[in-house]
Amino acid sequence: MRQASTFAVSVMVIVALAGCGPKKPANTGPAAPAPEAFPGAQPARPPTADPNPIRTAPAPPSVPVDPPVVTSDPLDTAEIDKINADSPLKPALFAYDSDELDEVARQVIAKNADVLKKYPTWIITIEGHCDERGTAEYNLALGDRRALAAKNYLVSLGIPADRVRTVSYGSEFPFDPGHEEKSWLQNRRAHFMLTARSK
Amino acid sequence: MQKSVALVMTVLSATLVARVPAASDGGIVATPVQDPQTTQQQKQQELVLGPLTASSSHPKIGVPDFAKTGGNVTEVASVLADVLWADLDYEREYYMISRKSSAGIPAATTAQAIPFSRWEEIGADYVLMGSVREIGGKMTVEVRLIAVRGDKAGIQAFGQIYDGCATTNPRFCAHSIADDIHLKLRNLTGVARTRIAFTSDRTAESNEGRPLANSGASKEIHIMDYDGQNVRRITVNRSLNLGPTWGPDGRTLAYSSYADRYPDIYVATLDGRPPSRPAKGTEIVHNQGPAISPDGNRIAFVSNRAGQGNNDIWVVNRDGSNLMNLTPNTPKSMEGAPTWSPGGNQLAFTSDRTGINQIYLMEADGTGVQRLTFEAQVDRPTWSSLGYIAYTLRQPSGHDIATITLSKPTPVVITDGFGSNKQPSVAPNGRHIVFVTTRWGKEQLASIDMDGKPTSLRQLTQVGNNTYPSWSASPGGR
Repeated sequence: MRQASTFAVSVMVIVALAGCGPKKPANTGPAAPAPEAFPGAQPARPPTADPNPIRTAPAPPSVPVDPPVVTSDPLDTAEIDKINADSPLKPALFAYDSDELDEVARQVIAKNADVLKKYPTWIITIEGHCDERGTAEYNLALGDRRALAAKNYLVSLGIPADRVRTVSYGSEFPFDPGHEEKSWLQNRRAHFMLTARSK
Repeated sequence: MQKSVALVMTVLSATLVARVPAASDGGIVATPVQDPQTTQQQKQQELVLGPLTASSSHPKIGVPDFAKTGGNVTEVASVLADVLWADLDYEREYYMISRKSSAGIPAATTAQAIPFSRWEEIGADYVLMGSVREIGGKMTVEVRLIAVRGDKAGIQAFGQIYDGCATTNPRFCAHSIADDIHLKLRNLTGVARTRIAFTSDRTAESNEGRPLANSGASKEIHIMDYDGQNVRRITVNRSLNLGPTWGPDGRTLAYSSYADRYPDIYVATLDGRPPSRPAKGTEIVHNQGPAISPDGNRIAFVSNRAGQGNNDIWVVNRDGSNLMNLTPNTPKSMEGAPTWSPGGNQLAFTSDRTGINQIYLMEADGTGVQRLTFEAQVDRPTWSSLGYIAYTLRQPSGHDIATITLSKPTPVVITDGFGSNKQPSVAPNGRHIVFVTTRWGKEQLASIDMDGKPTSLRQLTQVGNNTYPSWSASPGGR
């Protein structure tokens, strides 16, 4: 997975370099060290040819260029943690002690399904969360039921079940540490996390 | 250590007088000692005990400062006397005279030198006289319980020499002495050497990849002595680690961990070897809520592995063999929180098969299911050695700890409604219950006696949020 995203980054940079190519000699002079210093910038190199591409790859040198021609969606290539920090996948919220999806929750999940159809490589984990009022053991089961309810609805909208995993955190990982309904409302959720991209 | 504990018991029961050589692992060796001046050993009280005895029958005991008979023992002598006092007080089998009120009475190095009348004046029946000397970091502690009242004055009810106590851990030395005294005087298995495992966010590091900076404090397994001292962290993985439970040896812990981002059961020993994962979880198969059988061979746990979207009670051998679903006939309900009966032949667990979480019992092979509770909602049963089951009871506002006996299934609420009170675990002698309470703000662990007596409440933790307490079934080693 990581390998695939590295490749995608490489391709994007190649495209960007290619797009500004004609102007470069005039601006940067003959040294033009960028291609040598950037190991990914070799034409048509399949990702499998580089056994260990990402951890050791140096950051691309800053090449003074015009804004690149963007030919791909940044969400295709962005790091998973960055996507999750401001995710296009929104949480479905629940009533107290309930795993039923209300109309609002269904709309949220339907939009999430649209996102997942747009990015068919995404594999997600739906986390079930609960507010702190129940017992810890019960909440772990309730979180399972919430995550499964969200998954089942996603699958009914055409998302393959094998792209969707579930896990319950019960009331162990509250999103809002407060102790009143405003916080509890946020803590009763099915939270959608991008966990991988399939190849 | 296990060996030397067994040795102590042997020595006690056989009443050998010869000193036993120190165990090779540095354990404590206890040797009975008779006062040569005492012509007649007081007959041991023949008490067949119920759970807690009436206070009218409680002997009144004073604990003067320990005599220091050699080496660098000033500090440990005071720890020994204080901890011993607290350990004896804990079981509510003695009226313990406060150490302050006896501070003016001069210490004696022999039974004959005890100022009997001074002790009698402040109401004592017995004086626990002790002496300690140190050589090379090891202590020898001598303890005698001497009657001070009337014509029994000078008679020894208990006498023991402890060799090999480490000066670095005088508390454990005192705990060992206290448990011996409980056994000798009251025929009671004390819990002074037992420990409590729990989950705590006190060392919270943020989890990687969480959407909000303030969400997702990691929770690690910790252990502490029964009195809240000597806290030690067990897991170090910056993930969620929940529901620790002890094996019968007091050296094994099973718990569920999200270290691989899904819950699976880990079985660890306190010597730090890598944990095993007998339930073999995956991203799809999730396992949690382990309970180790009283013989240590089997683990009951909660799993979704039937693949029907629900949780069942499963059981597996500790080596990962003989995996079996004990509740296959309820594919729509959530089963949880298994606990073994003291004999290991039955399990109690929760199920929402009626729509509301209640406690059920079954045989260890899954047959003979019967419903135990008919409550608003309950959770986390813990089967005690005295036969009752302690559990979390949902109340109109919050939760309380309740107990129920199988022969007379009328619930008894033992906490008082202050804060929310959840997740009970029972001490191996059945007399004390540790639980989570929010009465002091955050989630803290407290212990209370099985009768819920308010003055028996003790706060055991002060730092962070602390949950999922589990009382060890036996002392284990140190």
